Amino acid sequence: MMSVPPSSPGSAEHGGRRPSGYDAGMGGADAGGNGATIEPVRRRFSLNALLDGFFFVFAGLASVWLAYLLLTESFSFGWWGILVFIAFWLVLAYLVLPRLHRILTTIYVPDYFMGRTRTSDGLLGDPVNLALLGDDAQLLAAMAAAKWTRADEVTLRSSWRIVMSTLTRRSYDEAPVSPLFLFGRKQDYAFQQEVEGNPAKRHHVRFWRCPEGWLLPGGARVDWLAAGTFDRAVGLSLFTLQVTHKIDADTDVERNHIVATLTAADPAITVSVLADFSTGYHSRNGGGDTIRTDGDLPVVDLRAVAVADAASPAEPAAASAPGGAGGAASVTGGTP
Amino acid sequence: MSRDVAKRPAFEPPSELAQAGPRDPRMHRPVATVMGAALVLLRVLAGTVWLIALAANWNDVIADQLDDLAIDLDDPAVGEALWFVLAIGGVLLVIDLVFGVLIYLGLNWPRIVVMVFSTLSISGTFLAWWAGDQTITLDQTLFTLALDILIMLALSSRAARAYARRNDPRLPPA
Repeated sequence: MMSVPPSSPGSAEHGGRRPSGYDAGMGGADAGGNGATIEPVRRRFSLNALLDGFFFVFAGLASVWLAYLLLTESFSFGWWGILVFIAFWLVLAYLVLPRLHRILTTIYVPDYFMGRTRTSDGLLGDPVNLALLGDDAQLLAAMAAAKWTRADEVTLRSSWRIVMSTLTRRSYDEAPVSPLFLFGRKQDYAFQQEVEGNPAKRHHVRFWRCPEGWLLPGGARVDWLAAGTFDRAVGLSLFTLQVTHKIDADTDVERNHIVATLTAADPAITVSVLADFSTGYHSRNGGGDTIRTDGDLPVVDLRAVAVADAASPAEPAAASAPGGAGGAASVTGGTP
Repeated sequence: MSRDVAKRPAFEPPSELAQAGPRDPRMHRPVATVMGAALVLLRVLAGTVWLIALAANWNDVIADQLDDLAIDLDDPAVGEALWFVLAIGGVLLVIDLVFGVLIYLGLNWPRIVVMVFSTLSISGTFLAWWAGDQTITLDQTLFTLALDILIMLALSSRAARAYARRNDPRLPPA
């Protein structure tokens, strides 16, 4: 059976992020032991946390009312009503629905591994379609050698830049990717390749470090899981009503592209395949796009990647130790 | 396994919504916190405009509100009342302004206090609207209500919560 080493730093880190989440769900492995760093299973709620929970739900309900008021007002203002209607859509798509999704999915979507990532609203997101073996430095070095670019963090500045570059069709090679969640955590690393200098189309892949001692369904042990999809266009999602990237339905093409670029760049990288790993999973991602897959999960073995040699010509920063000179490797731990 | 095996329920506990994440002192200031602070400042600005408008039309307002009582508008008490109202309003706006700045700096208690007052304000407006006493149109009522609700959404978000409690020793470390 699966067990978590009682007080290893890794389990403290991952278990501590989501006390009730994966470890507990996968057999109660963190029920005792590392009480120094992990909240006890029987949680105590401070007044602060209860107030926060109340405000979270109250704000969601209040925003529904605001959307209703805006909608009814938009009919009584003639042509100016169009502006009010746009305000209604913005409030609905970007404030009301995300908050309602967040509240409902927190309760209704089971919080254990099901081969799918989740969006920041808690909806099911891109499928997990790649696994890797190796450490941080090897992953960064291999991706850099395969000509992948680290995505910028989502900030006001980078969000503004991606909107402007999409409208003007200018290249933005380090465009941020939206956060997706696995094991209750945002991705640790996100990489992308822009296609033809067009920010609407891009290859992109997100990586999550697996919790210490965590095994895939079926018992295989991997260090990283990844979700790679191809953004084919920017459009309106009829599911969330937001303007987002539309992903290519055939996620296998993107998966194979990632594996091919990695193995082509470094002959030391080998690949094995867990056949029909996700054949049982099928559906839509959080944006409502359909996805198709043959269900195979390639396991890319990076353990033979020589870090200094592979990384230094392509991206020196990737080779430096975590916390090093401000480069790609300085953001570690998954919550930059 | 020696532990009791319990059947996992088909839903997650709603208390997850009140669950605070781990503290991360190195966390960058999230967009939600910036927006929340900016909206509080916007509310201060709206309040200032309202106070100025009130002062400019003070005699009309007095005559309007108290037309039953025979008030002499030349009475110095009318002017003193205006100063009294302006002083109270000004102090409240300054406090709100300070709270906005403290929220921007990432303190938790001003965030909670601002949300408590926004909750009261929204609830009051809602009850008046529900009872039919107040029609909410695209004027100042909707504007201030929208500001309050947007402040609530921004400051109650998980990112703003995590940032405000990034140094809270009661939370597990990241």
